[in-house]
Amino acid sequence: MDEAALISAAQQGQVDAFNELVLAYQQQVYNLAYRIMGDPASASDATQEAFISAFQSISRFRGGSFKSYLLRIVSNGCYDELRRRKRRPTTSFEDFGEVDEDANPAMINGHEGPEEYTERQEMAHVVQAGIETLPPDQRITLVLSDVQGLSYQEIAEATDVSLGTVKSRLARARGKLRDYLRSQGELLPARYRLE
Amino acid sequence: MGLFTRRTGERERRDELLSAYLDGQLGTGERARLEAQLATDPALRAELEALRHTVALVRDLPQVPIPCNFILLRTVGVRPRPALSARSRRAWAAPLLTAATAVVSLLFVVVLAGDLLLSGVGGRAFAPAAQPLMETEAPRVALEPSPGSEEVVAQVEVEKVVPAATPLPTVAEVPLEAVASATAEAEHYAVETPEDIVATVPVEGDGLIEEPAAPALTSSPPVAEEAVAAPAAPATPEGVAATMLAGGGGPIEESAALAPSPGPIVGGEAAAAPTALATATVMPERGMGSAEPTPSEVGEAAPRVVGGEEPETAEGGPGAPESEVAELATISPWQAPEVILGLTALGLALATIWAWRVRRQ
Repeated sequence: MDEAALISAAQQGQVDAFNELVLAYQQQVYNLAYRIMGDPASASDATQEAFISAFQSISRFRGGSFKSYLLRIVSNGCYDELRRRKRRPTTSFEDFGEVDEDANPAMINGHEGPEEYTERQEMAHVVQAGIETLPPDQRITLVLSDVQGLSYQEIAEATDVSLGTVKSRLARARGKLRDYLRSQGELLPARYRLE
Repeated sequence: MGLFTRRTGERERRDELLSAYLDGQLGTGERARLEAQLATDPALRAELEALRHTVALVRDLPQVPIPCNFILLRTVGVRPRPALSARSRRAWAAPLLTAATAVVSLLFVVVLAGDLLLSGVGGRAFAPAAQPLMETEAPRVALEPSPGSEEVVAQVEVEKVVPAATPLPTVAEVPLEAVASATAEAEHYAVETPEDIVATVPVEGDGLIEEPAAPALTSSPPVAEEAVAAPAAPATPEGVAATMLAGGGGPIEESAALAPSPGPIVGGEAAAAPTALATATVMPERGMGSAEPTPSEVGEAAPRVVGGEEPETAEGGPGAPESEVAELATISPWQAPEVILGLTALGLALATIWAWRVRRQ
């Protein structure tokens, strides 16, 4: 069954059809949530909430990219949660723990050796920490663009802002992250350091 | 400050150009101008490379594996936003519980104040007001038969084991079949043991029965050997008899106001046949009280159970002290609502604290 048929069946209330879409997109949705939120628990919550919300409002989906529809919902959920945490900070991000990437063989590329794998994990930690220093709107724009690979137009639709705003937010996010990586240069493996 | 702001603004505009250039989002004219600057400006070129490197690092971030499948349960369609609705319920619970706690606590205070006022704390000014209550309460409590006892009474009456005004019979005078029958009936409804069912009636000099007090058979001094007991005549409308055991000259008189009690009464023990009567009274008798009241006296006295003047313990003997008796009699009608309201208020207060804590989380 193709995606359009699954969406149509889900709009009729068929949870099984919607779950086919969940299986197809859950990796991307969770990855986006993880890069925005910075910890597995919050990412899981955001992902689950996003799929529930997507199913409940799927009758309002009027075509277009279903991936953009999902990413829009999850990024909005993450944005709300980040804003809530900013208003009422209760738990620091460090308390949530991190992914035990050493225990995830799926993260190892088949062609890289142990040393390259370790260096990539170190780089990922530093970059993720840099992403988490960004304001929520810039963070979401950066992740949608550079992690998820969405175009400016898709980002504008997902975040309900103009193309100019997307361009501006993305440029600021990249500039701040560049400055952060420069300041944390000694934490990066040599081959990942900025000049 | 102005210089810093201007420089920051220039830098942001430069980054915006470089970022858009990396994504191919510049128009033909803008891109040409930028490329011309890059050709002549090594610092600008270095910034472009740093930005390109940054974007490359982000794009090189590894995929994080999902911890589980996020498929929805079939019930999700009929369960709209469960987390939100649960949170909403908790949000309403706290103020609602607070209001309920306030109302119940206020009610508790009102009842408590009413109790204290009517019972006359620190004095007995209101004690008489409690007496009519006792008049209505005491006979009902003391003499009201249980389902089993009515049948026992009826049986005793039919067989005319003990005529109403006859002298008190001894155990031997009670027909065995009546005893057996009544005992069997009573055991069927077994509510209390014979020892528990003794209702005693205090004896005043004039034969009137004082207000009830707690039974104290076990703690009371030995009753005289010649004390009499009887499955007495039905002296109440219910046909309930009152049996009086009078201690000969002892400081404490024990009287058993029993329902038809065909059971054996042995010597001075106030043992009675198993009936379902509530335990009534043990009251100290004044010294000049009649040692052996006649059956007629008992018959008159038992149903009246009218509180006369408050008795006093002649020698401070066992049994309920007078003050306790009065206190128990005046407080008892209020105790149930007070306890219920108090416990409810306490429970609501704890629930309110819990609700507010959950809401703050």
